[in-house]
Amino acid sequence: MKLRFNRSQLCIPYALFLILFVIAPLIVIIYYAFTNGQGQFTFENFINFFSSTNTIGTLIYSLFLAAVTTVVCLIIAYPTAYILARSGFKKQHVLLMLFILPMWINFTLRITALKEVLALIEGNIARYTFLNSVIGMVYDFLPFMILPLYTCFLKLDKNLMEAASDLGANRFMVFLRVTLPLSVPGIISGITMVLLPSMTNYVVLDMLYNSTYIMGSLIGSYFSAYDWNNGSMISLVLLVIIFIITLVTNRFTDKEENSGRAVL
Amino acid sequence: MKGLKKLISFAAVCGVLGASVIPLSACAKSEEVLTLRVANWEEYIDLGDWGEDELIDIQNPYAENPDDGIIGRNSIVDDFTEWFNSQNFGYEIKVEYSTFGTNEDLYNRLKLGDVYDLVCPSDYLIMKLIAEGAVEPYSDDFLDAEDESNYYTRHVSPYIAGVFSDNGWTQYAACYMWGTVGVMYNPETIEDVEDINNFDILLDEDYYKQVTVKDNVRDAYFAALSILNKDTLLKGDITAEERTALLNATDEETVAAAEDILKRIKENVYSFETDSGKADMITGKVAANTQWSGDSVYIMDEAESDETNPTELWYSVPEECTNLWFDGWVMLKDGIGGDERKKQAAEAFVNFLSRPDNAVRNMYYIGYTSAIASDTMFDYFDWYYGLSLDPEDEEYFDEEITEVFEYDVSYYFGGEKGDYTIYIDASAIDFDRQKYADYKTIERLGEEYGNDIEYTVYSGIDDISRGRQAFAQYPPESVIERSVVMQDFGDRLGAINQMWINVRCPDLLDFNPVVVWSTAGVIVVLGALIVVYKLRYRLPSLPRRKGKNNPV
Repeated sequence: MKLRFNRSQLCIPYALFLILFVIAPLIVIIYYAFTNGQGQFTFENFINFFSSTNTIGTLIYSLFLAAVTTVVCLIIAYPTAYILARSGFKKQHVLLMLFILPMWINFTLRITALKEVLALIEGNIARYTFLNSVIGMVYDFLPFMILPLYTCFLKLDKNLMEAASDLGANRFMVFLRVTLPLSVPGIISGITMVLLPSMTNYVVLDMLYNSTYIMGSLIGSYFSAYDWNNGSMISLVLLVIIFIITLVTNRFTDKEENSGRAVL
Repeated sequence: MKGLKKLISFAAVCGVLGASVIPLSACAKSEEVLTLRVANWEEYIDLGDWGEDELIDIQNPYAENPDDGIIGRNSIVDDFTEWFNSQNFGYEIKVEYSTFGTNEDLYNRLKLGDVYDLVCPSDYLIMKLIAEGAVEPYSDDFLDAEDESNYYTRHVSPYIAGVFSDNGWTQYAACYMWGTVGVMYNPETIEDVEDINNFDILLDEDYYKQVTVKDNVRDAYFAALSILNKDTLLKGDITAEERTALLNATDEETVAAAEDILKRIKENVYSFETDSGKADMITGKVAANTQWSGDSVYIMDEAESDETNPTELWYSVPEECTNLWFDGWVMLKDGIGGDERKKQAAEAFVNFLSRPDNAVRNMYYIGYTSAIASDTMFDYFDWYYGLSLDPEDEEYFDEEITEVFEYDVSYYFGGEKGDYTIYIDASAIDFDRQKYADYKTIERLGEEYGNDIEYTVYSGIDDISRGRQAFAQYPPESVIERSVVMQDFGDRLGAINQMWINVRCPDLLDFNPVVVWSTAGVIVVLGALIVVYKLRYRLPSLPRRKGKNNPV
């Protein structure tokens, strides 16, 4: 007997996973976000979120930390990915491996090691908590920025650049008018993969002695204080923000990809 | 017809299955094994597997041969199951042992529907559970001190029993471990040891980013209130009631003042740590660390036995006050469910842990102080910390130690002053030798062992605030006198949790307005630029300038 599946049957494992671990928790979060401790419907949690200068302050701090992390990642990853993609075939794999290698080890272990390295360089590392948090985050998320850029550069057609220089553009203009626009999809997907998780990755801050809360730790503190309603509301607001950012960036990638295809 | 056939065969199968299940369950019932669900703190019980060299060589009246001493070969839980099932209770049990990391974690799990028969939360959660009516009281049999097998009621320290009865917990909770909250420090990195005497070292700018604090709202709040009320607390004439009231204040004004202090503490200290403080203390990353007494003992042991860089750490109890805390066993109504046998098994478990030899094992293994105070416990204390006076004792005798301190823990073991004292190495206690010159005598303590060293003995000194393991494990009476039991926050819990969140969260109003507005400006400009860039082909093209470059 031959086992035959049609396409929709192949989706069942993932659909189950989706319902159990994504949809169901989401419904629970929405339920708690709009009820109070007694289970009555309320907008109180929503008002609490936006009327507290502390939660807004935390949101801004997290966004700022995430933005700085993303920018630093981009600055490091962009030339790295370019060089990786342009290097000779044999070296390429070894180099790529070097960048992916750290991802094989659990990140808490890596941060523990990083802590010692930073202590060696800085002495008292508690004095530079923000800087260290950024370093920790960059260390953690750099591969997520390099990989999409790398694949993007791999796809890049060399002929386009040669054509541009043939037509009289200098190297800078080639980069600005050809390479950069064509790598925007890679940049965007790199940004989404770094910006969003680094807003809530509070373990890095905890381990590097930054006692300031970011969104992740704020949610955690509400849940451990048995205030599920406010905690759920913060999670929900964060989800909406993430959703908006993804929506905006998706538009960008689609358009750019289309224009990229049009060029090809 | 086919349908009917199916139905009949289905009914037949059901019948056969049913018939076979009934006798099975009936016979299972007679040999039913009762499950006792126990939840305890992580690393808070002896798990056994000690090396032979770890034998605690004291008289063990609970062993077949008292000379065998005390050693943990199996885990206490296994030992209990084995012991219980060998007794004639008429039923067998098995223990389902689980652990939790924080009181809040345990409480959340209980609220989520996890069911336990016996749990070991801290004082304030015990109060909360009692107030919620969730606690099953101990039976009168358990509290009967006449019964030889009631190890807890017979051997609990009279001091602990007093505190429990003052707070109305006697019926509901059996104390397991207890301790104080103090400040651990490394004397080599502290400029002046007097700095450690008060909680305001947390605000001391000389120790900017050198002291780490427990990341725990109750401990932080306690430290803040101690700083807030320092002057009142240090006045000599304060009564115990006043002190308790001051450090349990939760009114709005106090909470707001504590918030201010904690915000300043956050700026000044190394960090609020959940567990990194232990390692940072040992490696010397921090100079001091607010710490629970039990963990301090563990850290001091680890630090001095560190192979590459042994460090001598100390424990100090601030002069103004300390938080006296307890972890106790409570039975939960949800779990026990009125089952007398289960209750009996749970009480037997508590009594088994309270049997002095088992209490010694737990204490040795985890470093905290057991609530049990029998002679066996005192022997253990003496064996562990007491000065060895016998020159033949190759392992512990040190002829260079000639200055000894007579350490008095009579209040704890239930005696008059001087009844329960041990001689410890005086260098493990920090006291002013000039001030106490009159308390000094010269004695030949080891004459019975043929040891003719003339020891300088300091005795009758109770006014000490700094010491090493012995001091952290059994604080002297003077420390206890300034201790306060911190009550549950009750309906002020929400306000205090919010205060803690305010301390930890960056406040929008604290941001530098120039930075905020310029960042916002940059973002708006960038956004506008992107939009313009995206729409650059759709914008109406500008009229061409007429000029000389234009072709005519």
